[in-house]
Amino acid sequence: MAMKPPVTIPHLSQVTDCTTLSGRPVLSVYGPDDVFADDLGDSLGRPGHYPYTRGVHESMYRGKLWTMRQFAGMGTAAQTNARFRFLLNRGQTGLSTAFDNPTLYGWDSDDPISAGEVGKTGVAMDSLADMERLFDGIPLDRVSTSMTINAPAAWIFTMFLANAEKRGIPLAQLRGTLQNDILKEYIAQKEWIFPPEPHIRLITDLFAFCAEHVPQWNTISISGYHIREAGATAAQELAFTLMDGFTYVEHAVAAGMSVDDFAPRLSFFFNAHIDFFEEIAKLRAARRIWARHMKERYGAKNPRSWLCRFHVQTAGCSLTAQQPEVNIVRTAIEALAGVLGGCQSLHTNSMDEALALPSDKAVEIALRTQQVIAFESGVASVADPLGGSYYVERLTRELEEEAESYFAKIRDLGGMVPAIERGFPQQELTRSAYEYQRALSERRKMQVGVTEFTNENEILEIPILEIDESVETNQISALRVLRESRDNVAVQDSLDELERTARTKENLVPKLLSCSRVYCTEGEITRRLIRVFGEYREQAFF
Amino acid sequence: MAESMRSSRGPSLTPQLWERFLGGERRACAQVITKVENDPDAVPEIRDRLSGRLGRAIRIGITGPPGVGKSTLTSALARGLADGGNRVGIVAVDPSSPFTGGAFMGDRIRMDALVGDDRVFMRSLASRAGQGGLAPSTAGVADVLEAFGMDRILIETVGVGQAELDVMACADIVVLVLQPSTGDAIQSLKSGIIEAADVVVVNKADLPGVEMLLQSLRFAFSLGAGRPGTNATPILATSAQASEGIGELVAELESQASDLVDSGRHREMRRARLENEIRRAIQTHLWASLERAVGASAKIRRHAEELTLSGGSPYPFIRRACAATQVCQTKEEAWQ
Amino acid sequence: MNEHPIKVVVAKPGLDGHDRGAKVVARALVEAGMEVVYLGLRQTPESIVAAAVEEDADAIGLSVLSGAHMPHFTKVKALMDTEGIGDRLLTGGGIIPTKDQETLSALGVGRLFGPGDDPSTIAEYIKERVYARRAAERN
Ligand SMILES: Nc1nc2c(ncn2[C@@H]2O[C@H](COP(=O)(O)OP(=O)(O)OP(=O)(O)O)[C@@H](O)[C@H]2O)c(=O)[nH]1
Ligand SMILES: [Mg+2]
Repeated sequence: MAMKPPVTIPHLSQVTDCTTLSGRPVLSVYGPDDVFADDLGDSLGRPGHYPYTRGVHESMYRGKLWTMRQFAGMGTAAQTNARFRFLLNRGQTGLSTAFDNPTLYGWDSDDPISAGEVGKTGVAMDSLADMERLFDGIPLDRVSTSMTINAPAAWIFTMFLANAEKRGIPLAQLRGTLQNDILKEYIAQKEWIFPPEPHIRLITDLFAFCAEHVPQWNTISISGYHIREAGATAAQELAFTLMDGFTYVEHAVAAGMSVDDFAPRLSFFFNAHIDFFEEIAKLRAARRIWARHMKERYGAKNPRSWLCRFHVQTAGCSLTAQQPEVNIVRTAIEALAGVLGGCQSLHTNSMDEALALPSDKAVEIALRTQQVIAFESGVASVADPLGGSYYVERLTRELEEEAESYFAKIRDLGGMVPAIERGFPQQELTRSAYEYQRALSERRKMQVGVTEFTNENEILEIPILEIDESVETNQISALRVLRESRDNVAVQDSLDELERTARTKENLVPKLLSCSRVYCTEGEITRRLIRVFGEYREQAFF
Repeated sequence: MAESMRSSRGPSLTPQLWERFLGGERRACAQVITKVENDPDAVPEIRDRLSGRLGRAIRIGITGPPGVGKSTLTSALARGLADGGNRVGIVAVDPSSPFTGGAFMGDRIRMDALVGDDRVFMRSLASRAGQGGLAPSTAGVADVLEAFGMDRILIETVGVGQAELDVMACADIVVLVLQPSTGDAIQSLKSGIIEAADVVVVNKADLPGVEMLLQSLRFAFSLGAGRPGTNATPILATSAQASEGIGELVAELESQASDLVDSGRHREMRRARLENEIRRAIQTHLWASLERAVGASAKIRRHAEELTLSGGSPYPFIRRACAATQVCQTKEEAWQ
Repeated sequence: MNEHPIKVVVAKPGLDGHDRGAKVVARALVEAGMEVVYLGLRQTPESIVAAAVEEDADAIGLSVLSGAHMPHFTKVKALMDTEGIGDRLLTGGGIIPTKDQETLSALGVGRLFGPGDDPSTIAEYIKERVYARRAAERN
């Protein structure tokens, strides 16, 4: 390779604009004058105490380490089952399921719209039969399981419940998380089926059903991750996510539930991006804001209702296709921010994710990264070690204030649902995404290996995972067999009953469970519900 | 035809292209539109080719402030009109950036219900140098669509929130779209567009505030707003998203269309437009020959500069120029 | 040469809602003076090619992050050929392994871009290819 002239960079301020990743101006040093007394007093508090700025537990990771939970899923249920076993074998402590696109949008693998996408970026899931294969041999009463699914979350979850029933596992012993967060879909990820109102009804139906029957389950994971990936700044991620959370609370209360009945099972999911301190501050601010609003605005009495417990994933959008090994370093920094921000569970991205689905090798390194942080670095021994840092406390307050001003704007628009219908959060994101791209183009922000320090004629030296095209044909033929072998009278009866109930105000979850037990497919359920609820169309906002 | 009137840009209009166009090939229609859009010099030849195929279609302008649902409504209308047996052309105009010349055209997002519908042909146009909510080539593009066999042509203007009177020059029927938010209605009443409207549509009737807007519009019209010399302008409510009220709107448009035809007003509008087209083409030609012969624009600019300083009258120059221009010898026979 | 603006149809085929890249690129193409017809999410090869035909687009840009780039690009390219617009540029971006890019390139698909490619590079590439095609047509 030809030698390039050596790069000399005299001052940081000549190559970056010295703002945070989100464009926030920062001073060159922070001191006591930059922090409000209250931010070191009552607003800070102690770990495990209101307002929980410093963490949800008193002893934090000494008492309970975060759950190392790598998101996995590809191909058929049997293939993903093998990846799950691989991960558990290497010391992972919880499972997290990625579904393929047809599943996420509510369609069956043999639907024409699914062509080419079956098993591509997650596991294909059509019915209870796939659920049985996916968790075959995995002790669901002992391993906590997370499922990343939103629009059809309720009927994928009832397939999961039906599987537990068949295996004789009491529903009350199931632990895990359902993402089930539709608002961020309209804002960022765009995986919806119906208009907002019926989706929110399904969500509150699940809150009520689980409070009674699956009490250890986190019924929702209110997610900022995707909002951030779609281009939001740290403050926008924080504000829109928490506002989504408030909206679910308000809907559940309006549906007649008391806040302390469901709020303890609400959980969150944030992004850990590359700006180390800004991310830590964002996570600390999230806990403080949530606690304050739950206690003061929504009148929750149970301290568990005040807790903002969250999963963190390192930022997929920070990864580069160039010099992919360097992504290991980025992910390590981001994961450390997640831990210092006090996460309850963590996913670390694999180095090859800007190129393809992660290979076994890359997944293992990502998991090992968490283990190094947990067991070698020493950071887990002390709760909130950055508490009281002038810079971190100042940033925490700034993010909180910025989020509060977004809350006010959104309330002015009539709340989050009307704001989404008007495209407000969507436009904010698009603008931020474009501004960041401009900053990169104009060299005000840097990406190592992309905007600077590039390697000419780079040759990739990491293995790339490929999904065999036979996955789709196999999945489709299995589905054909199922449609012929199941009790089709029971299938039609339960679908009819579902449709009837959907037209009433009755809780839909028991009906979805009946459908799942008799092997109704995901797409069959989706189509029945569309008859009642209609379909949502894209609102593209710029 | 003079050298200057032949196409100088892009591929020429081959006989094969015309054959495909007459054979109803959509791609050929799209290519002819591109030519009209980008190459003014090709327009005369294209107009020649379209002869005998124009004069029948009804052109419907859809105008109104940004975001009121013009595209969504246009899509629903196109379907309604097509269901009534019409072939429908759509021209949707979006603004060009005055700085970069680029344009973002998002109207198709709202028209996904028309995907695969062979009865409809939809084309997006950037406004480019056009003012008043249309592209300079809008009328020419509508001509091509008509000659391609479209019975109804929907022209969606840029949502500029200002008087878009250009659309009147180009459309037989003007639909003004508003939404329940008083600001828009008051703006429109002020701007005079309301007088250009043949139908006023209050879209998004599923949102609160419709009744109030309908009432204030009815009140305004009772005070004499509306196109002078016509009967009361109809005011309809629609929810384009839910396809509600579309049937009524289609019926209203079709009834206005047959009135236009039956009363002879359609022919009259067409005559006026042709008159304009001829006059403008000749003016353009004359001007071009003056430019070529003496560099007219530059000379006028210089005179104006001198007059600004001297404070003199422009007429000595005008008289001299006009007298000299009379040497242009026109034979009346040629004007028959 | 006085070129008229380049018209590009930008779409996201299939089931994939990650439209950050498509929107940023669409906006950058507008800034570069192009006329961008944005189709948005959940497009089928048929809807994309039908729009490109009616718009007489110079180029189609697809953004695919769902892993299903092979079927989508292949089908769109094949349809472009049968609909008579095979001479128009098909380009796009996403997370597309080099091996797949090579396969697609052999089918006549243009360059594909990835995260980290500056949108101005994409605009330059489209200009170069479209101007070359137009020049060939003039001769
Ligand atoms: N609630 C409601 N929303 C509608 C209705 N019709 C359109 N919309 C929404 O209004 C927004 C704007 O719709 P468009 O059809 O793009 O409006 P437009 O007037 O063409 O917009 P521009 O071309 O940008 O000026 C979109 O979000 C539509 O979904 C309706 O009947 N009811
Ligand atoms: Mg529009």
